[in-house]
Amino acid sequence: MDKFRDCGDIKKDLRYLYTVQFWVFLVSRNANRGERKSRERERGAMAEDLVLDTAIRDWVLIPLSVVMVLIGVLRYFVSKLMRSAQIPDAKLVKEGQVIVRARNLRAAANFIPPKSFRARRLYYSNEENGLLYVPKGQAPNAQAQMFSDPNMAMDMMKKNLSMIIPQTLTFAWVNFFFSGFVAAKIPFPLTQRFRAMLQNGIDLSTVDVSYVSSRSWYFLNLFGLRGLFSIILGEENATDDTQRMMQMTGFGFDPTKSLGAEKDGLDIVQHDWTMPKFERRAEAVLRKLVR
Amino acid sequence: MVTKSEEDQLNRLEAQVDNAGGGAWEYLCLVRKLKVRRPDKVLKHGLAILNDSKKRSALGTEEWTLCEQVAVAAMDCQSLDVAKDCIKVLRKRFPDSKRVGKLEGMLLEAKGLWAEAEKAYSSFLEDNPFDQVIHKRRVALAKAQGNITTAIECLNKYLDTFMADHDAWRELAEIYISLQMYKQAAFCYEELILSQPTNPLHHLAYADVLYTIGGLENLQAAKKYYASTINLTGGKNRRALFGVCLCTSAIGQLSKGRNKEDKDSPELQLLAVAALEKDYKQRAPGKLPLLTSALKSLRVSS
Repeated sequence: MDKFRDCGDIKKDLRYLYTVQFWVFLVSRNANRGERKSRERERGAMAEDLVLDTAIRDWVLIPLSVVMVLIGVLRYFVSKLMRSAQIPDAKLVKEGQVIVRARNLRAAANFIPPKSFRARRLYYSNEENGLLYVPKGQAPNAQAQMFSDPNMAMDMMKKNLSMIIPQTLTFAWVNFFFSGFVAAKIPFPLTQRFRAMLQNGIDLSTVDVSYVSSRSWYFLNLFGLRGLFSIILGEENATDDTQRMMQMTGFGFDPTKSLGAEKDGLDIVQHDWTMPKFERRAEAVLRKLVR
Repeated sequence: MVTKSEEDQLNRLEAQVDNAGGGAWEYLCLVRKLKVRRPDKVLKHGLAILNDSKKRSALGTEEWTLCEQVAVAAMDCQSLDVAKDCIKVLRKRFPDSKRVGKLEGMLLEAKGLWAEAEKAYSSFLEDNPFDQVIHKRRVALAKAQGNITTAIECLNKYLDTFMADHDAWRELAEIYISLQMYKQAAFCYEELILSQPTNPLHHLAYADVLYTIGGLENLQAAKKYYASTINLTGGKNRRALFGVCLCTSAIGQLSKGRNKEDKDSPELQLLAVAALEKDYKQRAPGKLPLLTSALKSLRVSS
């Protein structure tokens, strides 16, 4: 009950107390009325089946989802407006294309004659001027370059900001308005450890952990609306927070490491020319056709 | 590549539109999607839509894509004034657009003003050295001027950076074939096969080039690739069937003196001949005797 200590206003305290008591009363009254409750009592189980007011669904769950969708759409358009024309770096473009080409070589190596495959492999992994060969000294530079380049830093900042600010605001809004009551029930049982995470505003320790507060509904929406956004807004949308968060951890290593990975992959490939097999298969096809 | 079903749909729509049956907009959209080159039809029907103000407003924002499509078709049909009008309209609507700039460059090319077009494209490339479309326009410009060596140079430089662009590899292969530089063309077709291994056309073209280069090893490889084309098309590709027959007889001729290490059974040739005869019997029975005599001469020599 931290709030009690913070606010000095007695009236506010009393109002808060009465709200909590009212909700508990409402909940327990409905629970008492429910038939299942009697069955539960017979069985002597600790878990009570709370019947939640439908007003919660109408006024909490649905508005929260709608607001998050709208904020996502808004962010998409804002990011579109703010996006400066990206002038791609020469080296990065070339490296990206080299990687694609090397990957194609690895995938379809069995379709070209062995001599050409060997020639290409040499071309790629040659020590001096092979395409995929990265001298050791250059490798760690990429990350330093990433942070010293002012343009790129600005870009990263802008992208991060557009993600962080709406998230923070929405989270604060949810916490302020929609805390202190049970919002939903998760359909599967959970252990007691989740109580701190999911039942943040609810200060009763006897309520089953499956009953969660609106904060967990907010998080569910945050990760779950990604699919919805990709339908509404098309593939490339700025609301792909989860992807962005995953990208942030792996930033800066991409080009040089993947080149090395491709080179290793290419070295491993054993060439097995499939063409002779195709001849026999073609015979079979023709035989079936002619018959 | 246009599949058979799409081609049928296109032809059907074309016939429908030609007989004033409506559906012109769907036809134009399909042409744009498949990147097929039908300039006269596009010009006729596109202009009909653009000049009719009611239909034009019904398009909304698609009007500008249609304008661009009609401009390109007009340049193809050499109606340069129509093209100029369309480009003027587009320029008024999108004053700073690179896409409109590319259209203006194409108009200069169509008029034959090579130097101005070259200047325009170079200025675009200075702004954005990674604009793939402008690079390709430069290659087309060189080719149109008849300057094939410059075209090859530009294309090679382009492929140095953008090496995953299979359309460019295809273009380069065709240019090499036109110059009879078959080894280089073979390399390009290998790249194409690597990027799209299940496309039978690339196998077919590669086999053609190998057969043209000649030599026992190449002929054997060519036979294998013709076989793979047969495999990928289910035996329906007549060119591959003919290719198999020719390759087998050529190999037979070359290895007449040596010991016949017949790993490749002669069955493939016999089967190909049988398939061809059956096909001709179905489609062009009049030409069947021609076919039989030609194949017989091949078989005699093997």
